[in-house]
Amino acid sequence: MTRRVVVTGCGVVTPAGSDLVTFWSTIMRGQCRIEPLRQFSFRDFDSLVGGEVVLPPEDELGADGYRARCLALTLAATRRAVEHAALPGGVAFRERTGAVIGTTLGEERQVGDLSDRFRAEGDGAIDAGFFSRSDNHRLSSEVAKRHGFGGPVVVGAGACSSGNAAIAIAYDVIRMGAADCMIAGAADTLVRSIYCGFFRMGALSKSVCRPYDKNRDGVSFGEGAGALVLEDYDAAVRRGARIHAEIAGFGVSNDAHHITAPDPTGNGFTRAIRQALATTGTPLEAVDYVSAHGTGTVYSDLCESRALHAVFGDRARSIPMSSIKSMMGHTNGAASAIEAVACVLALEHQAVPPTANLVEQDPECAIDCVPNEGRRAKVKTCLSLSAGFGGFNACLVVRGVA
Amino acid sequence: VSAVVEITGVGLLTPLGDGREQVASALCAGQSALVPSLEAGGTGLAAIVDFEASKYANVRGLRLYNRTTRLAICAAKLALTDAMVDPTSVAPEELGLLMASTYGHLDVLLDYDRSLVESGLLRTNAALMPLAIPSAPGAMVALAFGAKAFSMTLCDSTSSSLDAIGLGARWVLEGRARACLVVAAFSASPELVRVVDRAGALAAKGDVRPFDRRASGAGLGEGAAAFVLERADHASKRGAASRGRVHGYGAAFAGKQTESKAALERACAGALRAADVSAERISLVSAGASGVPALDRAEAEALASVLGADASRVPTIAVKGALGETFDAAGAIQSVVALSSLQERRAPPIARLDEPEVPRLRYLKEEAVVDRGLALVTSIAADGTSTALVLSHGDDR
Repeated sequence: MTRRVVVTGCGVVTPAGSDLVTFWSTIMRGQCRIEPLRQFSFRDFDSLVGGEVVLPPEDELGADGYRARCLALTLAATRRAVEHAALPGGVAFRERTGAVIGTTLGEERQVGDLSDRFRAEGDGAIDAGFFSRSDNHRLSSEVAKRHGFGGPVVVGAGACSSGNAAIAIAYDVIRMGAADCMIAGAADTLVRSIYCGFFRMGALSKSVCRPYDKNRDGVSFGEGAGALVLEDYDAAVRRGARIHAEIAGFGVSNDAHHITAPDPTGNGFTRAIRQALATTGTPLEAVDYVSAHGTGTVYSDLCESRALHAVFGDRARSIPMSSIKSMMGHTNGAASAIEAVACVLALEHQAVPPTANLVEQDPECAIDCVPNEGRRAKVKTCLSLSAGFGGFNACLVVRGVA
Repeated sequence: VSAVVEITGVGLLTPLGDGREQVASALCAGQSALVPSLEAGGTGLAAIVDFEASKYANVRGLRLYNRTTRLAICAAKLALTDAMVDPTSVAPEELGLLMASTYGHLDVLLDYDRSLVESGLLRTNAALMPLAIPSAPGAMVALAFGAKAFSMTLCDSTSSSLDAIGLGARWVLEGRARACLVVAAFSASPELVRVVDRAGALAAKGDVRPFDRRASGAGLGEGAAAFVLERADHASKRGAASRGRVHGYGAAFAGKQTESKAALERACAGALRAADVSAERISLVSAGASGVPALDRAEAEALASVLGADASRVPTIAVKGALGETFDAAGAIQSVVALSSLQERRAPPIARLDEPEVPRLRYLKEEAVVDRGLALVTSIAADGTSTALVLSHGDDR
């Protein structure tokens, strides 16, 4: 028997807001939250910008009171999703519930801190808790501990496709009957190494990112986390849960082209999109909204546009497709988890969010990127795209449930 | 389509050798690679001495990669060769990659970050940044062998490789790839050795005693293992030999250490249910016991409960006494040894086991004959994750 997987709860902590109402209203208005960075500076830059999350005090500390930021973001988003889903507290239910968390960088800040302390203090800098604090698996195991889950607990790293990959794994866990409910999400923080790396690659925006704009000049970074509560449809109906959407399925591919650059033909992306549509039985004309990867780099936006044209043909010009990274910055692995939540909200509100900061659209990116302001639209099926370093692509089909 | 997935290729690199037969023979002879190491502060370290990646794989840029990535690429190459998988037999778009690596990027990240701070942005090797993220070792394996179906990394510490085998089997059955390369690797960089040692989990002088009453901690090891997974009909169509079969996978979590036994019981029950077999069919257990007393105790008690009346019949082995704790690679290495044991009908003893703390299991203290049947491979991690895999042997050669 094939199980259907539905979304019964969502949670976000993002630069655009850390509750669903604020998040949705901010992105629908096209408000850009990429601002001068407050968390840290680096001597080689006069100034840095980024999308920062303001966490309420109760969410700031990790489980052990240590300021492990990636874990704090993860716990904050998953707590919101669990509360939104009003999950029951019974032992039997929690034993059949697990968690999959994705990340690009994980607790990289812990390693940065250790690196700094090594220089100052030598070997004495390592305390007994460092190994567990820097272990990325803690991102999911602490979620499970916090909520008393006893099902499968996994951390997936698929670079900037980590969020969609986490949702895909959780979807499969439920479909194969290994759990009835899974929390799926992703989190990432702002770290100096990624700013430096993108700067050296010439891919860091000098101002703010402008996906699909003729004068786009690179990525802006953000931090955040997104989480969804996924449940077996029948189990969700039995407990009387409110069903917000259905995860119809996913498609994956890998470019295997270059460590950082996407395949310029867009072939890898095309295969992932086609697999997502084919395995979910979604005809091209059924797609009402595409949550695009849209990082704002010249190369990546072009590859994505080519892939969408290869799949949708001329219809690629008229399907609303937007990049909410234009408002929060690229939150790396967390991005596609946050964008999956945006898809659920698009279905609920029958509206699509915009691509902000657009001044003059690049004619080579011939898509309807919903410039600068969200709009009402009939939305029954969303396609959410993600691509990452190394060439891993993961696409998700999110549907409304009648 | 059968729910059983064929293992058509195996690759293995350990301190005791680089082939299934060689490693199995060494283990059966009671050899242990764990020796006290100055580098590891006097604790045990099982290192692969004189590892030369170029002996195994001819991959562009190989020497620039860190040790974990090189180990992973070499194990992958061995598995692909064993499976006779190349672009003519399996198209790149049909080959997927699942990597088990939680710590494989950390040494690069430390180097990169240190250089940024000490030497500045413009004097730091920019090529290190994309290699300094958790998915990097897997991405490099996928790039090396042109795996275009998917490339994903699981960061679940000692559970990573069993999780990757379970997910790989699922994605192969679903047709997301014709063949899935599952690769698991761990190397003990000096920084990581110091960090793990400071956590207090390592036994002094390499005196690692899985399941023993006198166990006082683990020893670190390094190694890599890789599998090629295929659907039975696909494997048969291209005439690939079977090196073993994946029947079922299960996972569970315990929020408190006192609940670890129950979690592993649930993981084993899930794996047996997925395999559609009862515990009576199990003829070998390849346990994850590493010499950490609380975890070994929980694992032994869970296995005794799962096996029930058969607990005193089924041989139980634990290779970490000889090969050390290899975290991400551990479950995959346990699986290779389990497959070899079933294939050759002989299983290796548990190093330095004198007096079991939980006496109900049939721990092997010396090499023993094993019935052909199913193997149960288990893992129980300090953070509460438990995983289990049910395997069977492959074709006779």
